[in-house]
Amino acid sequence: MINNFKLGGIIFIYLFLLFFINGCTTPEENAINKGPEVYTVEIKNMKFQPEELTVKKGDTVIWVNHDIVTHCVTEELTKAWTSGKIAAGGSWKMAVENSYNYFCAIHEVMKGKIIVQ
Amino acid sequence: MKQFMKLNMAIVVCSIIVFGSAYAQKNPKLTDPEIASVAVTANQVDVNYAKIALTRSKNSDVLKFAQTMSDDHTAVINQAVALVTKLKVTPKDNAVSRKLLSDAEKTKKQLIAKPAKAFDKAYIDNEVAYHKAVISTVEGLLIPQAQNAELKKLLQDVVPTLKAHLAHAEMLQKKIEKK
Repeated sequence: MINNFKLGGIIFIYLFLLFFINGCTTPEENAINKGPEVYTVEIKNMKFQPEELTVKKGDTVIWVNHDIVTHCVTEELTKAWTSGKIAAGGSWKMAVENSYNYFCAIHEVMKGKIIVQ
Repeated sequence: MKQFMKLNMAIVVCSIIVFGSAYAQKNPKLTDPEIASVAVTANQVDVNYAKIALTRSKNSDVLKFAQTMSDDHTAVINQAVALVTKLKVTPKDNAVSRKLLSDAEKTKKQLIAKPAKAFDKAYIDNEVAYHKAVISTVEGLLIPQAQNAELKKLLQDVVPTLKAHLAHAEMLQKKIEKK
């Protein structure tokens, strides 16, 4: 019984210290410790949704085409990169290193923006 | 050019009058098989205009736009055919689809007869007018009258595509006018 009580105490202290140490890290440290995140842009009703997305350098953005027609995602200013054709129901992803204005080169009125913080 | 524009607008206005009168229920209501026929015909008409542009235009913007019209409207036709096949509905010819086809024949002849220099403007002007008329028909006539929920949804899903096509055509229209 005493041994069980001691064991319970040790576990309690261990858990307490674990939570206490973790609680001592600042939100900034937590954000730094977090790895790259994945964001989704829905291509729906001939729009990029959201049209503007803020991410951190190295995060991944996935574009998913929910429309019945083919789309693409292309850097707007110099066409530095493009997804190529994304068929209906298809998707394409890219790790983002810089801020970009982009558009669908097939339907030029469809525009979007990625901002790297 | 002015004569072509006048005739073109007259065709569009006549189409809207025909569609509008149907909407006002002076004409018999369209059934789902008839709505399916109008939807497929309206898309096929624009695919046919695109085919003319792809053989006649030398302008890279116009060629790209025409290819998009051909691809997108073919995709919509394929969706409509897949749906009517699933629903076991046979599209039924009717006054609205026949009017669309007869107007399209006149426009096709005018486009083919256009001198090379005037073709791009004539094609894009027609695309602007045609998409406006089709959007009006789909929103004002086909969607309200469609009975089957899946057919209604397909028509609703197509509207943003038609509006993006219209905005794209208007953008090209301005670009061509500046030249």
